[in-house]
Amino acid sequence: MTKTPYVLIVEDDEWLAEQHVRTLGLAGIRAEYVPHALAAIDSIDNNMPDVIVLDVLLAGPNAFTLLHELQSHADLASIPVVLCTNSADQLAEEDVVAYGVKRVLDKATMMPSDLVTAIKKVLP
Amino acid sequence: MRGNNRRQFEQNQPGALFGDMPFIVTAAHELKAPLALVRQLSLMLEQGGVTSIEHDRMLRQIILVSERALRLTTDLSRSSRLQDSLFELEPLNPQQICEEVAHELEPLYKARSRQIRVMPHYRSMLVVANRDLLRRIMLNFGDNALHYGAEDVPVELRAGLREDGSRVRLGVRDYGPAVPVDLWQQLQARLGSHAQPLHARPQSSGLGLYVAGQFAEAMRGTIGATRHRDGATFYVDLTASTQLRLL
Repeated sequence: MTKTPYVLIVEDDEWLAEQHVRTLGLAGIRAEYVPHALAAIDSIDNNMPDVIVLDVLLAGPNAFTLLHELQSHADLASIPVVLCTNSADQLAEEDVVAYGVKRVLDKATMMPSDLVTAIKKVLP
Repeated sequence: MRGNNRRQFEQNQPGALFGDMPFIVTAAHELKAPLALVRQLSLMLEQGGVTSIEHDRMLRQIILVSERALRLTTDLSRSSRLQDSLFELEPLNPQQICEEVAHELEPLYKARSRQIRVMPHYRSMLVVANRDLLRRIMLNFGDNALHYGAEDVPVELRAGLREDGSRVRLGVRDYGPAVPVDLWQQLQARLGSHAQPLHARPQSSGLGLYVAGQFAEAMRGTIGATRHRDGATFYVDLTASTQLRLL
């Protein structure tokens, strides 16, 4: 029996996060969201996600602080990260690959199903 | 938290993402976020499969997000005309302004499961201001506070005379995680003078605060912010009217 994938969404807009959870749920992917990087670290400590969907501009420490933190732990560094951001046009993919980022989605142009596709592509 | 020290984690902000952006880029970026959300919600509605309760809730969200974006665009166009216009300054009751702003923001707060309230002030006071500009300043502060308050603690609007009685302060206090000191210093240095997003509070509108600063200046006032252990207060200081003293 295959395990249901678990995705942690780090998104400070709860309305958007709710829709991400709903979209993933319909695709058979279990997802939860947290509003900022500190809550993400606490959540990861309790429940290791298969994939992290990460907004870039967050309240308090931003996405790159969290990515640094993840990279500093051997067991967390391998968690695939999908950046989902309004700032995609300002991020060069080669700059974020080193942080464990596997995909970058632009919130302004993505379709809801793009999130599912991206996650399925990066699932270990 | 495992491994690294939590405080260090809170304060570590590798590389500013955007650096100094031209005003037009910041404006475009800040308007992109609500448009992107409206688009996502609309796509979900188009896709169907939502209950009627979810459908109504999402429609309401689209309306509220659109209204917030429209407020920002109206503020922007208004701020660009500030120098060409003469704004009527009149004695206003700041407590009443707070009430009006809280009333206007209440649906948005309610939809986000947040609360907003006006703190009572028993001493009579008047402030010399333009009603529309002052309301817009307070609406911007209220918009900012929305995303950073704890769910169970209301955001507070308050007005009060400053110590010497010559100035009135109208402020919006939120209760949430403290902003790290270094980020706060950056925020203070840029408050109202740069339209950059505030990296520690990305959903707060750097643009909105910039516009608020412009509006305050047009009324010979200033905006500022106070950091608390459990949140922040954004405020505008304006000249108190002497009218009451003459009565």
